[in-house]
Amino acid sequence: MSARRTVVLELTRMEAAHLAGLVTQFAELLEDADSAGGDPAIARLVPDAYAGDAAAAREFREHTERDLLGRRRLDAGIVLSTLSAAALPEDVAADDAVLMELVELALDPETVQAWLRCLAAIRLVLATRLEIRSEDDHDVEDPRFGIYEWLGYRLDGIVQAASED
Amino acid sequence: MMLAHPDIDQSVGTRGEESPLRPWQTVVWNDPVNLLSYVAHVFREYFGFERSHAERLMLAVHHEGHAIVAEGAREQMELHAQAMHDYGLWATIRQAPQ
Repeated sequence: MSARRTVVLELTRMEAAHLAGLVTQFAELLEDADSAGGDPAIARLVPDAYAGDAAAAREFREHTERDLLGRRRLDAGIVLSTLSAAALPEDVAADDAVLMELVELALDPETVQAWLRCLAAIRLVLATRLEIRSEDDHDVEDPRFGIYEWLGYRLDGIVQAASED
Repeated sequence: MMLAHPDIDQSVGTRGEESPLRPWQTVVWNDPVNLLSYVAHVFREYFGFERSHAERLMLAVHHEGHAIVAEGAREQMELHAQAMHDYGLWATIRQAPQ
């Protein structure tokens, strides 16, 4: 078992606000999704567990997808709850110095796992929307790739901090 | 159309030639999205593997396209696959190839 430790995440209030916006969108996507039917991004969160055996894959999904999608909702709630400590005051101006104020968020070991799963899941959804098929896929014109990579940067940072020996 | 999928080999993992003598396997497949560091972390966190073992498996997933992360009874492999899906990794269950 890797070391279970508290991770302190340092980010600006502006970054926290952007992240909260993304996680809220993710939670809204999940709200309408009782099953994988129709949306390939949701389908990626509940993938086929039997390759080449559609009946077994369907049966497995019927048994697991409610739990898997429920976990995504719980994780999103935990992340939003952590981020509320870095919330912005109301009616903040775009050039307000408070946006660049650094906030430290302490994630206990269970919260760390929720954050990791949540950021990884949002990346999977974004990758499906962006039709990412290889690690080299990138469109500098599309700001969503920037968001995708920023999430990867944050995810990697938390992984490194959580798995130091 | 399904997108951002791992490189699943459709020729494996069918139940057609099921045999009670061959164990079942949980297989994790490469995908272009999950970070290498995250995949290794999941292997350590969930299976309790040592860092070196987890990283070896992660590299096998990345370079060979997949890795067998567990072997045993089918029900146990289904639990492992669900756990991998819980982390966002793509795992399948199959009977060990001949």
